[in-house]
Amino acid sequence: METTNLVTKNLAEAKRPASGATETRTLDYHALNAMLNLYGANGELQLDKDREAARQYFLQHVNQNTVFFHSLEEKLDYLVEESYYEAKVLDQYSFAFVKALFEQAYAYKFRFPSFLGAFKYYTSYTLKTFDGKRYLERYEDRVCMVALTLARGDEALAKSLVDEIISGRFQPATPTFLNCGKQQRGELVSCFLLRIEDNMESIGRSINSALQLSKRGGGVAFLLTNIRESGAPIKRIENQSSGIIPIMKLLEDAFSYANQLGARQGAGAVYLNAHHPDILSFLDTKRENADEKIRIKTLSLGVTIPDITFELAKRNDDMYLFSPYDVERVYGVPFGDISVTEKYHEMVADARIRKQKINARAFFQTLAELQFESGYPYIMFEDTVNRANPIAGRINMSNLCSEILQVNTPTEYDDDLGYREMGQDISCNLGSMNIAKVMDAGNIGTSVEIAIRGLTAVSEMSNLSSVPSIAEGNAKSRAIGLGQMNLHGYLAREHIYYGSEEGLDFTNLYFYCVAFHALRASNRLAIENNNTFAGFEDSKYATGEFFDKYLEQEWLPRTEKVRGLFERSGIELPTQQDWQELKASVMEHGLYNRNLQAVPPTGSISYINHSTSSIHPVAARIEIRKEGKLGRVYYPAPFLNEENFDYFQDAYEIGPEKIIDTYAEASKHVDQGLSLTLFFPDTATTRDINKAQIYAWRKGIKTLYYIRLRQSALEGTEIEGCVSCTL
Amino acid sequence: MTTTQRLSRVNAINWNRLQDDKDLEVWNRLTSNFWLPEKVPLSNDIQSWNTLTQQEKQLTIRVFTGLTLLDTIQSSVGAPVLMEDARTPHEEAVYTNIAFMESVHARSYSSIFSTLCATRDVDDAFRWSEENPTLQAKSELILERYRSDDPLMRKVASVFLESFLFYSGFYLPMYWSSHAKLTNTADLIRLIIRDEAVHGYYIGYKFQQALAEATPERQQEVKDYAYELLLELYDNEVRYTESLYDEVGLSEDVKKFLHYNANKALMNLGYEPLFPSSVTDVDPTIMAALSPSANENHDFFSGSGSSYVIGKAIATEDDDWAF
Repeated sequence: METTNLVTKNLAEAKRPASGATETRTLDYHALNAMLNLYGANGELQLDKDREAARQYFLQHVNQNTVFFHSLEEKLDYLVEESYYEAKVLDQYSFAFVKALFEQAYAYKFRFPSFLGAFKYYTSYTLKTFDGKRYLERYEDRVCMVALTLARGDEALAKSLVDEIISGRFQPATPTFLNCGKQQRGELVSCFLLRIEDNMESIGRSINSALQLSKRGGGVAFLLTNIRESGAPIKRIENQSSGIIPIMKLLEDAFSYANQLGARQGAGAVYLNAHHPDILSFLDTKRENADEKIRIKTLSLGVTIPDITFELAKRNDDMYLFSPYDVERVYGVPFGDISVTEKYHEMVADARIRKQKINARAFFQTLAELQFESGYPYIMFEDTVNRANPIAGRINMSNLCSEILQVNTPTEYDDDLGYREMGQDISCNLGSMNIAKVMDAGNIGTSVEIAIRGLTAVSEMSNLSSVPSIAEGNAKSRAIGLGQMNLHGYLAREHIYYGSEEGLDFTNLYFYCVAFHALRASNRLAIENNNTFAGFEDSKYATGEFFDKYLEQEWLPRTEKVRGLFERSGIELPTQQDWQELKASVMEHGLYNRNLQAVPPTGSISYINHSTSSIHPVAARIEIRKEGKLGRVYYPAPFLNEENFDYFQDAYEIGPEKIIDTYAEASKHVDQGLSLTLFFPDTATTRDINKAQIYAWRKGIKTLYYIRLRQSALEGTEIEGCVSCTL
Repeated sequence: MTTTQRLSRVNAINWNRLQDDKDLEVWNRLTSNFWLPEKVPLSNDIQSWNTLTQQEKQLTIRVFTGLTLLDTIQSSVGAPVLMEDARTPHEEAVYTNIAFMESVHARSYSSIFSTLCATRDVDDAFRWSEENPTLQAKSELILERYRSDDPLMRKVASVFLESFLFYSGFYLPMYWSSHAKLTNTADLIRLIIRDEAVHGYYIGYKFQQALAEATPERQQEVKDYAYELLLELYDNEVRYTESLYDEVGLSEDVKKFLHYNANKALMNLGYEPLFPSSVTDVDPTIMAALSPSANENHDFFSGSGSSYVIGKAIATEDDDWAF
C-alpha cells in the first residue's frame, strides 16, 4: 500500500541524523530533571533521575564554571581586593579562626539532594564574577560568610551558626542568605510594611519608599485603608478625590521599575479594610476583563475583615462602608486605627459620616469569585489578629506573604516631605527552621536560640535610613520572625498523615516548644544587653497575662505516637515550672524583641534546604516550579519514596479543613501570623471557598494567603505518561 | 451530502435539552478557561528577550508569525465552516467559542511582539510569513479542505491543524522556558496549548461520531484521505521545520515532536498512530513543559502561571453561616 511506503520512507529520513543518539548520549541535567515528571518504563517514579540531574549539573556546569583558588587565604584576599567581599566582615576575626570555620563547614560534606536545590542556589544566591559568568563561592563558603557576618566578631556564635545552617536546621531568609558578606549587595531584610495617610505628602513618600525598598530587596506592603474614597471632597469641594485605584497604579509601576540588581523583581501588596467605600473597585482591578486603565497585574491585594462583617453576613444584612475622610474628622484618628467592629453601630448612626451599603454575603461571594480568577485577595481577620496581639497598639495590615502582624503608628510630613512627627513602620527579617532536622538533632533549645540570635543580628545591622519611619520602627522593636518548614516532609517520613489527630498533636507541641525557647532566648538577650524593646512595659508580657494559657493548663501529648517522637528525639517539653520561671524572668528583665515568630511560605529557601514549604502540605508529590530565572523545574517532595508514597497526599486531596486545623494548632503559639494557602479543585464553587473562609475565621486563623485551584486535564487531552496529569 | 444532517433552520438554543452531553462539558471547560493576553505580565520577559542572539530573536518572531497565521485561518475560516456542519445547536455554540478564542490567540502573538520586539523586525517577519513557500503551502493544504464540500474532511483538516500543525511552533517557547528564558511568554503559550488541546479533542470527537454513521466504503475512503493529507502535511512540515530550526540545530528534536503530535492528532480522529515510539521520544523537558494541568507553583516574584480559571458562583446559605 502506498501509505506504508511513504511512512517507511519518512521514518528512514527521520531516523538518519538522530540515529543512535538517544541511546548513548548523556542527557543534560534539565532533561534528567524533567524525567521526574514522566513515569519510567514500568510506571515507577524516576526519583533517581533527579539525583543524577543534580550530579550532572555539577559535572557539566558548576565545576567547569567555578573559579579555582589554591588556598583559602588566596581566595579571601582576592575576593576582598576585587571588591567582592566586605573586608569589615572578615576583619573582625583572626585568619586562623576563619580558616578553622571554613574547615568546620567543609567537613560536613554537604551535597544538594535535589537538582532544584543546587540549580536555585547557583542561579540566585552564590557569589558570581561581575560579568555573571563564573562562580566564586561554593555552598559552604556562603554559609560561612553568613555566619561571620551575623556573629559580628563573636567566635562561638559564628561556629554555632555554621553548625545550625550547614546542617539545615536553620535557614536564613533569601535577602540575608543572599547578601551577607558581599560588598555589592541589597539589604538583609525581607519585608516591609508601610502606612499611607490621607494626604499628598504621605502618598508621595510612599512611592519613594516603594522605589527605595525594592531597590534594596524584599517586598513592600502598603495600607490603603486611610485614603479617602473616590468622589470624596478635597478641601471640602465635593466629588474631587479619585480614590485608591490611581495610587495602586503608581505603586505597581514603581515596583516594576525597581529590582534588586536584577536579582529579583520588586513586589508589592496593598491592604484595604472591607468597609472602605472603594472595596468593590479595589477587587475589580483583578478581574479577567478589567479595563487596562484600572487593571492591576502584579500588585498583590489583601483585605482586612473585622468580625462584624461575618456577623452581618450571618444575618444576611447589608454592610455599611464608611468614608475614611469623615471617619478621620469625627474620631480624630485615621480609619485604619479604629476598630470597625467596635464602632460599627455608632458610625452607622452618625449622620456626619457618609456611607454606602452593599450586601454582606454578596461581598463574600465577590471575594471568592476574584480568588477564583486571580488567587487574590489575601485576607486578614482583623479582630482575631488584634485579640491575639500581646503588644499595645493596633494591627491594621499584613505584608506580602500575610505572616507579619505588627503594630504601627502614623507619620506626619511637612510640605517639603520632611518629618514633622516620625511614626513607626514595620520591617521584618525572617528565617526558618527545618522541623525534621531539628527533631533529629534533639536540641531544640539551642537551635531556636541560635536562630533568634542570628535574626536579632540582622535587625540590629540593618541600615534602613532610606525610609526613616521604618528605621525608627526597627530600632525600637527589633522585631524578627522565626518560621518553620518541612512539617509535611517530617510527618510523612514518620508515617503520620497531614491533618490527622497525630499530625495535629505534633504540630501543637512542636510550636509549643518553639514558643518557649524563643521567648527564653529573647529574655536572655534582654538580660545580656540590659535593654528591652520600646513599649515592653505596656505589653501583656510585662503584666504576665500572656503566660496565662501556659500556666492554666498542662500541654502534653494526646497520642502515643507523638509522645514517642519526642522521647526518641530526646526533646523535653517545657513544664509548668519552666513557664513559671520564664514568666518571672520576663516580667523582671523584659524581652529584647517585640515580635519573635512568623511562619513564611518559604519558596526558594525550602528548595535549597530540601524541605517541604512552610507547614503546608505539598502541592504535588512532584512539584512543577516556574520562576523567571529558572524556567520550569521539577522538585520531588523531600523524603518521598515508594514506601511512604501514600503519606504524601497533596494539598488538593487533603482539602482546606485539615490545613486549617493544622494551622490553628500552630497559631496558638505564634505571636505574629502564618501564611496559609488554601487549595481547591476547579469543581469547587465560590460557596466552597466562602465556607472555608468561615471555618478558618471560626478556628482562630489570623490570615489567609493565596487560594490555589487545580484544573485537571479534560479526559482525552492528557499528556501520555505525565506524572502531574495523573497523580 | 448524506453523512451529516445540517441544521435546517435556526431554533432558540436550549441548553437544558442536550442531545450530546459532551457539548456542555466542553462548553463549560472552554468558558472556564477564558483568558486574555493582558493577564500575563509579558513585560517581565524583556530582560530575558535581550539575552537572545539576533538569530534566536528572528527565529522566535518567525515562529510566532507562523502561529498567528494558523490561528487566523482557524478563527476566520475553520471554525465558521465547521459551524455549518454542526449536528446540534450546542455544537454550533461551541464553535463560536472556538472561533473567538482563536482570535484571542492570534491577538496574543501581537501582544508578545509589541512588548518584546522592535516594529521593524516584526514587519519583516510578517513579510517573511507571506513569502515563505512552506508556510503558504501548509495554509493552502488546509484551506483547500475547508473549501471542499466534504464535511468529514473539513474536520480532519481542522484536527490536523489544531493537534499537529501548531506544534512545530509551540516547540520553541517550551524549549526557551525549559532553559529559563521567556518564561512568561511560555505561560501564555501554555494557555493557548491548553485551549488547542481541547479544540482538537472535541473536533475529533465530532468527526468520529459522523464517521460512525457512514458506510464502510466511505469510512475507508476517508481514512485513506486522512493519512494522505497527514503525510502531505508532514512532508511540508519537515521542510518548514528545517527552514526554521536548522540554524539553531534543533530540527531533529522538533521532528520527534512532530511525530508525537501527528500520532496524537490521529488518535483524536480515532485512528491508530503512524510513527513508532522510537521516533517520538521527545526531549523530556519539552514533554514535561507541555502538561496542561495546573499543578504549577509560583509566587508574586514569578509571574501569573496558567492555572487560574473563572469559577462558578454560588451564593452561601444560612447553614454556612451557622456559628
